[in-house]
Amino acid sequence: MANGGVIAPVGMNLVALAAQKHAVPFLAVGNIVRRVLHIIREEDLSLTTAAIGGLNLSAVSDDENDDDRDGDSTLSAAAVAAAARSTLRPPSLQTLLEDTPVSAAVPQTSSSGGDSEGKSKSADKSSRSRKLKHDVIEAVNELIQDIVTCHEQIAEQAVEHIHQNEVILTLGSSRTVLEFLFAAKEKKRSFRVFVAEGAPRYQGHLLAKELVARGLQTTLITDSAVFAMISRVNMVIVGAHAVMANGGVIAPVGMNLVALAAQKHAVPFVVLAGSHKLCPLYPHNPEVLLNELRSPSELLDFGEFSDCMDFGSGSGSPLLHVVNPAFDYVPPKLVSLFITDTGGHNPSYMYRLIADYYSADDLVVQRRATAGN
Amino acid sequence: MSMSAYYQTRAAHHGVVTSDWLAQSQEAATRAVVTGGQEIVDGGKSGRAFSVIDEFNNWRKQPDLAEAVAAIRALAAVIRNSEAKTMMELEIELKKASDSLKSWDTTSISLTAGCDLFMRYVTRTSALEYEDFNSARSRLIERAEKFGEISYKARKIIAMLSQDFIFDGCTILVHGFSRVVMEVLKMAAQNKKLFRVLCTEGRPDRSGLRLANELAKLDVPVKLLIDSAVAYTMDEVDMVFVGADGVVESGGIINMMGTYQIALVAHSMNKPVYVAAESYKFARLYPLDQKDMGPALRPIDFGVPIPSKVEVETSARDYTPPQYLTLLFTDLGVLTPSVVSDELIQLYL
Repeated sequence: MANGGVIAPVGMNLVALAAQKHAVPFLAVGNIVRRVLHIIREEDLSLTTAAIGGLNLSAVSDDENDDDRDGDSTLSAAAVAAAARSTLRPPSLQTLLEDTPVSAAVPQTSSSGGDSEGKSKSADKSSRSRKLKHDVIEAVNELIQDIVTCHEQIAEQAVEHIHQNEVILTLGSSRTVLEFLFAAKEKKRSFRVFVAEGAPRYQGHLLAKELVARGLQTTLITDSAVFAMISRVNMVIVGAHAVMANGGVIAPVGMNLVALAAQKHAVPFVVLAGSHKLCPLYPHNPEVLLNELRSPSELLDFGEFSDCMDFGSGSGSPLLHVVNPAFDYVPPKLVSLFITDTGGHNPSYMYRLIADYYSADDLVVQRRATAGN
Repeated sequence: MSMSAYYQTRAAHHGVVTSDWLAQSQEAATRAVVTGGQEIVDGGKSGRAFSVIDEFNNWRKQPDLAEAVAAIRALAAVIRNSEAKTMMELEIELKKASDSLKSWDTTSISLTAGCDLFMRYVTRTSALEYEDFNSARSRLIERAEKFGEISYKARKIIAMLSQDFIFDGCTILVHGFSRVVMEVLKMAAQNKKLFRVLCTEGRPDRSGLRLANELAKLDVPVKLLIDSAVAYTMDEVDMVFVGADGVVESGGIINMMGTYQIALVAHSMNKPVYVAAESYKFARLYPLDQKDMGPALRPIDFGVPIPSKVEVETSARDYTPPQYLTLLFTDLGVLTPSVVSDELIQLYL
């Protein structure tokens, strides 16, 4: 498909660039590229279905007298529409036995149409591609709107989950969690928040400050104190960097610790994530497994440790290595609930959202030779 | 003791045959022919006796053909031989044939699932009132025949989906001879992946020996284990790959005896268990424990005579609950076990 062929290499370059920069969440970039490709495919298919429906009806009325002219056009309009709907939807048991998709039917109807229709077809094509572009741009704008407003939509659900006199635990700082807690405060819920500081970046400190500014009773703890304090907590609410297809979560480092503590003490572990964070990949995928390693300077002061980490002295390789991974993988069995802008979901339900938002063809985005650096 | 025809066929295709077993199976086969003759579905006024069971058995004999495909081909033959003039009549005939097939071998889950799937498809086709009967009928026959291709394509899709999960240097534990798993491993070997396979013997069929032979032909390093050695070797295993005789509504699987054991050990050691199964094996069953399913018995040859006082557990299959399975590779995609009931609900409601 011509349009997909233009977007895909651009998308691949974007993802490669993001992965290099490390500043941008690179998984989210890949997600958006795939979402746009899916939108293009959907709009194209729905336009084709509409076109076929129109053409077929006119063909039937014209060829009433010549029944046996085109044996293939026995495919009734209903069957074609059903086949088209099945290609728009992901594969399922219902469509297992059904026929090949709409694209096979297109050349047939164009051959069964008369000569007078041939000219109108070419005029149709350019207006059709204009309509396609218009539809795609509209859908992409909707997507942008969704991403921008996802925090509000998630925050709206705060009242259902946070009740009176509860104790909430969170780690690090996430804007979604912040808005979520604020929304509950607005609705006059009184609750306390334990904030784990989220070493080595200590973003929990910033979160604690903002919570206090809004009038929430906050307690700051170190990451190592999570197991000690978890028994006093009613619920854990955290944000995520990305959500995998199996319901696993890629989150800032330390999250797996919190999830394990929560499971041990039967505390619900709730993850807030906008639907643009939903990734169609599985955790075994190398793109996902490569954890980002940040600078050791966040852990150690170079001045004090310069002799331990000196490459010049002794054997050339220092005895002290500092590893500073940025992300953690939380397996799906530790997550109790996902709250997305479409509502609350079970981890085992995430595959459905993927089928809704992404096309199977885009899951393996090819690495072209031109994109290699 | 009545023998399960399904497991008998599987053993004939993939197992190691001993003379004792052969004698028993021949005796069972003669019994089956006698009862099969009573189930003839009359093809109508022509007086020609057409047996859907015979048709099914003919198709089933081909070792490469999936069970559900054989069932659907048999039902297609019913349509072809039928003299019905309306969809309702055709549907009734098909229902009768499908019921007789299912009752002839109650232990085969993919047979039941395949029949049900085809019946649902027929019902949906007949609901399209725009078409005339002959074109609908020819399309049904054509789709049924194409289903063999679908099943073959399904195996290829499953093999492609699972390639990502097999990384270089991994050790895979395999149980039983599944043609789908064989396809997965074959494709991985063709893609020049470096991996090692641990293969259980799979008593009493010993189908693991056959699998080991096939893998050795592909130059894949294989190690044979007796069934009891699974826990011993589990810590060097990276993942477990099994096929399925049937996938039940809870998301669990019914597979050759020993699968549940392996899944339990793998789960306790945090190893992923991957199931490769085509989507037409999804069945509307919900076993709550091992004894909930109808018995499928296979005679076991111990090599020495066993006194008649001693009972032998001859069940050929067990049920693995969904909490011990990690992912299902199907032609509908890579799914978590909870998807199965979703798909079945969409199909049946």
